[in-house]
Amino acid sequence: MSRNLVELIRRHHAVDAPTALDLLKEAMEDHGELTDADRRAAAEASGLPEAAVYGVSTFYDDLLAPRGERHVRVCTGTACFVAAGERPVEELSAGLRLAPGERSADGAVSLAETVCLGFCHSSPAVRVGEEVDAGAGAIERALAGESRPAAEPDWSSLLPEPVLTRPGAWAGLRRALDTLGREGLLAEVEAAEVRGRGGAGFPAGAKWAFAAKAKGDEKFVVANGDEGDPGSYIDKYLMERSPELLLEGMALAGYAVGAGHGFVLCRSEYPASKPALEAAAARAREAGLLGEGILGTDFAFDVTIIEGAGSYVVGEETALLACVQGLRGTVSARPPFPAERGVYGMPTVVNNVETLANIPFVAARGAEAYRALSPDSETAGSKLVCFNERFARPSVYEVPFGMTVRELCEDVAGGLRDGHQIKAVQIGGPLGGILPASLLDTVFDFDALAEVGCMVGHGSILAFDETADMRDVARHLLRFGADESCGKCFPCRIGMRRAYEEFATDAPVDRARFEALLETLELGSLCAHGSGIPAPMRSLLTHFPDELGLR
Amino acid sequence: MSEVTVDAAPDALRVTIDGTTLEVAPGTTILEAAQAAGRWIPTVCFDDRQAPFGACRVCMVAVEGSPRPLPACTTPCGNGMKVETEEPTARRVARTVVELVLSELPEPPEPHTELARVAARLGVDGSRWSGAVHPHEDDFRHPYLALRHELCISCGRCVRACDEIQGAFALTATGRGFEANIVAGLDAGFEESTCVSCGACADTCPTDAISEIGLVAQLERS
Amino acid sequence: MASATTPEAPATEDRFDRVATTTCGYCGVGCRLETRARDGRVVSIAPALDGPANEGHTCLKGRFAHGFTRSPDRLKTPLIRVDGELRPASWEEALERIVDELTRIKGEHGPDAVAGLASSRATNEDCYAMQRLMRAAIGTNNIDNCSRVCHSPTSFAMRKSFGLSGATGSFSDIDHAEVALLLGVNPTQGHPVVGARIKQAALRGCKLITIDPRRIELADYGAIHLSPRPGTNAAVVLGLSHVIHREGLVDAAFIAERTEGWDAVEELLAGYDPASVEEITGIPAADLEAAALLYGEASSGSLLWGLGVTEHKYGSEVVQLLCNLAMMTGKVGKPGSALLPLRGQNNVQGSSDMGALPDTYTAYRSVEDEDVASQFEAAWGAPLSRHKGMTIPQMFDAAVAGDLKAMYIFGEDVAQTDPDTAHVAAALENLEFLVCQEIFPNETTKFADVVLPASAFLEKEGTFINAERRFQVVEPAIDPPGEARTDFEIIGEVARRLGHEFGWESPWDALDEVARLTPHYAGVSRERLGRSGLQWPVRPDGSDSPTLYDTVFDRPGGRGHFAALPYKAPGDAADDDFPLVLVTGRILQHYNAGTMTRRTGNARLVDRDVLEVHPVDAARLWITDGDKVSVRSRVGRIEVEAKVTDRIEPGHVFTTFHFPETRTNLLVGQSADVNTSCPEYKVIAVDVRPIAEQPSFVPVLADGDGREP
Repeated sequence: MSRNLVELIRRHHAVDAPTALDLLKEAMEDHGELTDADRRAAAEASGLPEAAVYGVSTFYDDLLAPRGERHVRVCTGTACFVAAGERPVEELSAGLRLAPGERSADGAVSLAETVCLGFCHSSPAVRVGEEVDAGAGAIERALAGESRPAAEPDWSSLLPEPVLTRPGAWAGLRRALDTLGREGLLAEVEAAEVRGRGGAGFPAGAKWAFAAKAKGDEKFVVANGDEGDPGSYIDKYLMERSPELLLEGMALAGYAVGAGHGFVLCRSEYPASKPALEAAAARAREAGLLGEGILGTDFAFDVTIIEGAGSYVVGEETALLACVQGLRGTVSARPPFPAERGVYGMPTVVNNVETLANIPFVAARGAEAYRALSPDSETAGSKLVCFNERFARPSVYEVPFGMTVRELCEDVAGGLRDGHQIKAVQIGGPLGGILPASLLDTVFDFDALAEVGCMVGHGSILAFDETADMRDVARHLLRFGADESCGKCFPCRIGMRRAYEEFATDAPVDRARFEALLETLELGSLCAHGSGIPAPMRSLLTHFPDELGLR
Repeated sequence: MSEVTVDAAPDALRVTIDGTTLEVAPGTTILEAAQAAGRWIPTVCFDDRQAPFGACRVCMVAVEGSPRPLPACTTPCGNGMKVETEEPTARRVARTVVELVLSELPEPPEPHTELARVAARLGVDGSRWSGAVHPHEDDFRHPYLALRHELCISCGRCVRACDEIQGAFALTATGRGFEANIVAGLDAGFEESTCVSCGACADTCPTDAISEIGLVAQLERS
Repeated sequence: MASATTPEAPATEDRFDRVATTTCGYCGVGCRLETRARDGRVVSIAPALDGPANEGHTCLKGRFAHGFTRSPDRLKTPLIRVDGELRPASWEEALERIVDELTRIKGEHGPDAVAGLASSRATNEDCYAMQRLMRAAIGTNNIDNCSRVCHSPTSFAMRKSFGLSGATGSFSDIDHAEVALLLGVNPTQGHPVVGARIKQAALRGCKLITIDPRRIELADYGAIHLSPRPGTNAAVVLGLSHVIHREGLVDAAFIAERTEGWDAVEELLAGYDPASVEEITGIPAADLEAAALLYGEASSGSLLWGLGVTEHKYGSEVVQLLCNLAMMTGKVGKPGSALLPLRGQNNVQGSSDMGALPDTYTAYRSVEDEDVASQFEAAWGAPLSRHKGMTIPQMFDAAVAGDLKAMYIFGEDVAQTDPDTAHVAAALENLEFLVCQEIFPNETTKFADVVLPASAFLEKEGTFINAERRFQVVEPAIDPPGEARTDFEIIGEVARRLGHEFGWESPWDALDEVARLTPHYAGVSRERLGRSGLQWPVRPDGSDSPTLYDTVFDRPGGRGHFAALPYKAPGDAADDDFPLVLVTGRILQHYNAGTMTRRTGNARLVDRDVLEVHPVDAARLWITDGDKVSVRSRVGRIEVEAKVTDRIEPGHVFTTFHFPETRTNLLVGQSADVNTSCPEYKVIAVDVRPIAEQPSFVPVLADGDGREP
């Protein structure tokens, strides 16, 4: 990230003031497209140079497609793709007589692609304005102008006592302030071995320890709510159903490292998340649980809820911090790590929403109790998993580590409905390895999955049934990879595109050349977006070579 | 084994580059240490007048103990680190990246450009890939600066020159993914932006996407 | 152009057939440049990566503005005035004419009836040759250079306060300064590479205090901006000093050990409390206090100033007050604590260092000093006058009075850039004989009897000295066009024909002579200068001086001198007839008279001078952005386009002087620095009003809605 641009933002910022990105989004919401006047106004208000604001305005999906009175966004995520293929886009496009990214001449309606809306349990999904409709008839209703909000299944926990699927009670924060103290809390979190739940699996305790030691006039906590993985709606549920748990986790992080303010970056594709979080924050302030003098102590901590603007890579922590500050969501080389230089150049802890939601339990009950949540596994704590529409009982479930994937698919989610058979499952997101049916007895845990070229990742379990064409799947995933590339590093910027081009037509795929791309992406990319795509590709090459049309 | 001392201080780190051990100050990158040891590591997005960026991934080297190659320009030296600059996998990745870059340009880079020279030195003279290339879009409005978007490889050097050296902040990356490119100001050309025509962008550009009007062959007057 | 990691360019780069590394001839930063030419034309210039002042960067002038070298109106042959018209002549004719006339006038009226003007854009060797010509070949000390009209107050003041006429540190001190105070200088416009350096330092945490009637660009990156009324700088500096003293932020040990004269200053400061200073300057007391504390509390701090300090009636006094400020707080002679006068032209430092001044030889040694004078007499083999010569303003006065009969001017367009254009024109008109040595015809050559075609900086060899006292090598990129010759050759030839042989084969011989005769430059030689140059004083062993005064000042006794100088009102002030104050200055794209830059693509970027007017004044005066306005001062009137901007304060206006059509300096009167005669370009009382294209038939009400009354 440009140190100078961050410094300019720091000099101009007021913590709750809108960033340049916020202002551009407001302009989109107001008049459906961006003008130079909007860009200039955003530059003036944010302290960013005009050129930088221009660059922001051409990076994010939400700023690019012009909006009509009725803005129809069709989800093209993997779950919706598995459920309905290209039909949603084709039918809406044909029915509205608009290509994605176009607005009707009279400005009445516009169509855009979006990924992912988090309604993977009821794919296909269509968003009109702020409402998301999904499931059978959603496309037709969208065409008829009769969309209605889709129901979302309740979540549940397999644990004797739910840890994550319950509303927050702030017991952890109370105990931390009363009993543990800063040092004690840090020690507890480190002992609990809380691994990041967003995909990287990095120990939260270690991150916090760095940030606690770092020097800075101010420090920040950032909750990564940019769950962009198609197929995953875990953080959505947490933010919308247990927002207090997240806020408590952030306050605990702030207390441990010495931060007085936190940001939640939630996706703009989840229109219900920000209102839910803001309402929870308001209630918490009323109750003296956020703000000045929390629970009667001299600890002060408050939060700002920010929405993203449509970019998958913003889920990477340095890109996330760029987005929080209103910059282009591109990835930055590390070092420096956010714990050393993050928001406004200050030490910042970045944790995934689910990770932070784990912390209140650790603070309230201690490291031992946390580690005991998964008796059949070395891994501490529990995990939320979610399933796509193919399954009989798709929803979010809290499970212990150590169950097999088969148990999760069949016992928890009820297997596939309508007599379909699992051909393969992709676990953890579009950059997760693909597990063929023959390997369903793999244990759902970090090491076990890594051994078969897969990962826990975000925790989504997305099934391809016997009708799935794995070459189509490859093309779908590579197109996602190329569309979402931030464009900074060369292997991903060019390599993803070339990888997609291998599958874009019906021509046979040059295997050697494709493998060279995969090697370059895996070893050369700047972040896990580029280096992650080889995993599912290699799974396909290993387990479904005949379907890929190789040469 | 030979020894070169860059900075002998109490907290100096000892690092070995291709068999040469030297002492460097904490914070020194592998690239800087390699330069001090007289070892060439190819780079495309690096300019020593700017902070390292880490975009091109051509400076990949092998570091003992690391399962994968590391980028020399953004990786700080560690005490006792052993680096092999021409390790086969690292070089293979570097060469493939250069091949990919050549594949996105509508025509080969001119021989005097930095990209051409790096490719030549790495022995990359073509590309296994052909696919989408950048569309031609040339801006010759400015009296001195020529901007040919089709030659832009999004290395970011021009944006960083304008940011970190001149401080005019007139340039920005634009777009995303393969379509990424650069523009000045609000994309109405250099003169309409905060550009002060210092030419730092043209000076650093490795492909002549930004170059001097007077040096653009197609515009040359006799 | 490449970074240090790039494989070398192929040995044969067929795009260029001649390359050189030289030093820029535009401003006092002194960027090192790599020039690339083909077929006798400069094709491209790139910044040298190892340039000490520029480190691989430069600005649009050094980098791109070289097209003027091949402009069609370049002077390629000598010209002689015959029957009122300048017509081409041969070198023989021209030189004969010059020798005949100068000899005649010298014979009839004495050598002091002749005066010379050296160019601050030319090399040290050119200027040294010129002063030797005037002194040894003609026999007069009437030699001056254009530092007279810009930084002569700096030179005077720093010699008085510290001993040496130059920056006390280097540009690199900016990188180590906790605080930097900028007074009357706009580096992002006038010294772009240094301006960029300051901006980066500010973004990294250096706290800037910017003081200027206009809100300069760097103010947007600074900690605090003060906007004093034009002409009140002395009060500002005294006010800052007062607060620092009051807060106990003086460095008592430094004052006691390294300075003299503090007591008088301490007494003087009592009267400059912030409230009093606010009355004089208009700066809110709280702002002055804040600025003073910032500077006073920092462990290192640099002071930078420019023509906004010197081009004033008491400019030299303000510089002395700045020296006081630094000495009070011990912020001199240490890394990060430098006094950096941003010298305007590329060689304004050098032209004065070389003694192209009426009262000094090289290194500011007085012409009245018997030891020095006899040393030069011996070296040159000619008797030398012990009387001070005339400064430029004195030369014009003398010309008008009829006492000065001849002038030999090279590389300076006095009719465009000197103040009170009408007076200058009268002076030039009244001379019996005027020689101009130039690269283009200009306002001054209109009065010339002989015009000699000379060389641009890209066509000569020698050295320049930049604003950090650094001698740097100049190498030609191309040859002069047509029959034009280098200034060095021409001056040598004139001297020879006047009977005085310099005996130099090349400028390097002249440089060697300078080194031999000047202790401060003793170790300078082309070889030693290499690619990085050397900052004087340069000792015989070649070691140079990036930082001055780390242990002693260069004055008798080694102590810095405190000057107790109270604030006095400027030479001009707004009144009922002339209610606004005009400040004149430069912008980025052009240089001074625009002689070079107007003949390049820069003219496409900025093609005219404009008058900046504050919106409040614009509204009051019925001026809209883009209107043509008339600007009247006590001595002249011009017309120029208005630009409404809130970068300046109400009550004053700003314009440049880059385009001869504007004739900005018609407005500038005779007010000048009391010690050095540097004109007060920065405080001119004016009246501004729009010029209607056509009379309006519809009387318009003051609320502007166009209704008929």
